[in-house]
Amino acid sequence: MEQYVTLTMDGARARVPRGTSVLDAAMEYGICIPHLCHIPYLSDMGACRLCIVEHIENGRAKVTTSCTLRVQEGMVIRTNTEKIRKLRRNIAELLVAEAPNSRAVQDIAVRCGVKEVRYPFRNNDCVLCGRCVRVCTEMWGARAIGFVGRGKERHVDFPFGVRPDFCKQCSSCVDLCPMTITPCDGPMKPGEERLCGKCESQLQVTEQIPDTCVWCDLGMGFNCARQA
Amino acid sequence: MSRLAAAEDLEGLRASLAAERERVGTTIVVCGGPGCQAAGCRAVIEALEEELDKEGLAESVAVRVTGCHGFCEQGPVMVIEPGNVFYCRVKPEDVGEIISSTIRDGEVIERLLYTDPASGERVRTESEIPFYRLQERTLLALNRQIDSSSMTDYIAVGGYSALAKVLRDCDPEAVIREITASGLRGRGGGGFPTGRKWASCRAAPGDERYVICNADEGDPGAYMDRSILEGNPHLVLEGMLIGAWAIGAAQGYIYVRNEYPLAVEHARRAVEQAREVGLLGDNVLGSGLCFDVEVARGGGAFVCGESTALMASLEGKVGEPRPKDVHTVEEGLWNKPTALNNVETWANVPLIMQNGAAWFAGKGTKGSKGTKIFALTGRVKNTGLVEVAMGTSLREIVFDIGGGGSDGAAIKAVQTGGPSGGCLPVEKFDLPVDFDTLSEAGSMVGSGGMVVMDERTCMVDVARYFLAFLQDESCGKCVPCRVGIDRMLEIVTDITEGRGRVEQLDLLEELGETVRETSLCALGKTAPNPVLSTLRYFREEYMAHIVEGRCPAGVCKALVEYVIDEERCTGCGACLRACPREAIRGESKQPHTIDAERCVRCGICLSECKYEAIVVK
Repeated sequence: MEQYVTLTMDGARARVPRGTSVLDAAMEYGICIPHLCHIPYLSDMGACRLCIVEHIENGRAKVTTSCTLRVQEGMVIRTNTEKIRKLRRNIAELLVAEAPNSRAVQDIAVRCGVKEVRYPFRNNDCVLCGRCVRVCTEMWGARAIGFVGRGKERHVDFPFGVRPDFCKQCSSCVDLCPMTITPCDGPMKPGEERLCGKCESQLQVTEQIPDTCVWCDLGMGFNCARQA
Repeated sequence: MSRLAAAEDLEGLRASLAAERERVGTTIVVCGGPGCQAAGCRAVIEALEEELDKEGLAESVAVRVTGCHGFCEQGPVMVIEPGNVFYCRVKPEDVGEIISSTIRDGEVIERLLYTDPASGERVRTESEIPFYRLQERTLLALNRQIDSSSMTDYIAVGGYSALAKVLRDCDPEAVIREITASGLRGRGGGGFPTGRKWASCRAAPGDERYVICNADEGDPGAYMDRSILEGNPHLVLEGMLIGAWAIGAAQGYIYVRNEYPLAVEHARRAVEQAREVGLLGDNVLGSGLCFDVEVARGGGAFVCGESTALMASLEGKVGEPRPKDVHTVEEGLWNKPTALNNVETWANVPLIMQNGAAWFAGKGTKGSKGTKIFALTGRVKNTGLVEVAMGTSLREIVFDIGGGGSDGAAIKAVQTGGPSGGCLPVEKFDLPVDFDTLSEAGSMVGSGGMVVMDERTCMVDVARYFLAFLQDESCGKCVPCRVGIDRMLEIVTDITEGRGRVEQLDLLEELGETVRETSLCALGKTAPNPVLSTLRYFREEYMAHIVEGRCPAGVCKALVEYVIDEERCTGCGACLRACPREAIRGESKQPHTIDAERCVRCGICLSECKYEAIVVK
């Protein structure tokens, strides 16, 4: 079987190894797709839905997450259409309203084009991106933490709420948590449904020069889709 | 019973069973479906058996307890064969008379017959009742002929003959061609062409394959699958056997929710019975087909009706959906090719193989073939299960078969497709019910729930109810579904409680669109339907809540006020005594008043008042 496949992303042809996800392929080719729950060395669960793209299949555009979509020969992907940008902005708005104090989530929201938040803030300390659960399970095979509950009750916890012996307190989970990355000057109070001045001022900067970002290790120099 | 080694053995058994059935003169058929159970059919059955024993008729008169007949409104229902006399709302006290007059003397008891509301006449048989007459019952009609716990009954009326025919005459490809030609589409909600699903599953690389029957029916008010699995489990098994032959599976699963104890019991018994005679196991009917079925119980999560979540649950994992970028027909259960179909879809398979694809394709519309069972509930006169050809209009289903509004109130809308479906207004009732038309109108066929609503139903409150249901049942894995539904619920609750703002309607639409487009599984993708469809067809009700601060249907508690009409109030004090909040004051024999501050609008006074003096404003 051919080890490489060729696909078209935003009109550009890309040749990547078979089995790569569309998200990885895009990042490789300098097309930056915003993402939160994706970590290169862990499996993808498609939880945050920020990395959505349009997959053109039989003439129909299907919205799907690029982290879970594997490349196929002849695939056509659009990562930055108006529709995708709008959907992404709406998802980021939902996320930032859940966790207005997280600098990382704010950063993503701003870069997805969120300028105002139309929902009352809730100061949750977790956005259930599942980074911690996956690193504990997949990296260390420890399964010391997992998701508990369903829907609104869903949260990350130890089995039966007690820290088990096999949690070695390695803090991998903490390291990957978007909520622990430098909290902003906040906290924003309920009723102040807008992003703080600091993030807005940063928006000005990112619109001119692509800045380094919390979630993208590509650094500067790429024409980052997140500014749109 | 001895093992059936070949198709001839099955035919031989059928002939002897049919002859035995002929010999029994009179059979009293009692519906044991969920509706009639609720109406007390168990007591009727016990009384019947006792009475027959007492009268010494236990040998000559058979009692057959069957699955659902459909006319749940009139339950418990009873049919006496031969003659097919139909009795409804039978009580244990009636049993003595039924046996003494109808069974012994052949006299019909007038008061137990159904009264046609249009003509006011009493009718003797099912076929004269408009509710039954206007339906096209192929799947449900079988229920009446079969004792739901007996395999012999099923075989006697022709069961497993489709399987024998398939194993004798058709290679797997031919079965798939036949199913494809019939135009059968998945009855569970998605409406995916079954033939195409089977073909891709067969073509997928892999050494092991699975078939799964999805009986995790969870829509509020829907019980089609339950009725089939409880009433005729062997029909489903036969469908799965044919499917297994077609795609090359050796193992099947019936995933049935544990809240359906009778369905679990009947499915398990059916599997055991089929194993006993060799219809499941190695070398079925000497054909070389090796196939077995296991019954797995679901733990009660609505989301486990979604195919990937169901498979995760079957594997013993948390029942959460996964992205379907790779389809389950390629990587399903244990990452093997898997064909998952709904109960009703499987049940249609033997009928198609028996009667031919053309027979099935002859019914229905261009894109949707065959018949579909709907659970007709809500504010409609004849609640129950209705089986009609695809393409029948909503008007026929709700007004002709359903008999119109339950107590004369004007019907306003029908909600189709369960919590993920939409509400269609009465102006849209001429739409033919099929997969494509309903989707275009902003609703869906779904699994077949139909909740009828009249002018006393608040559409904003309906949207709120379904959102609350889905928020509760969302697995919480992805952001749009977990947070998006919750936010929509927040906005709609604001509206029902009088805190709504007009600009929130646009936000609601935009958010609904986002949730629909970006959610991980079908639960999230369809969750905004109740909101979006009510916004589309009943925007004026939303506006009345927001702008005028008024609930037109008088449902939303924060927007209504209970007052006493002084003209009508006799001062009897019934409401005063019943009020849990002590909000009603007044002297005896004098008109009473309600203290709006204390009143919590529970509605108890409304139901207590005999003089209709309590008015909801």
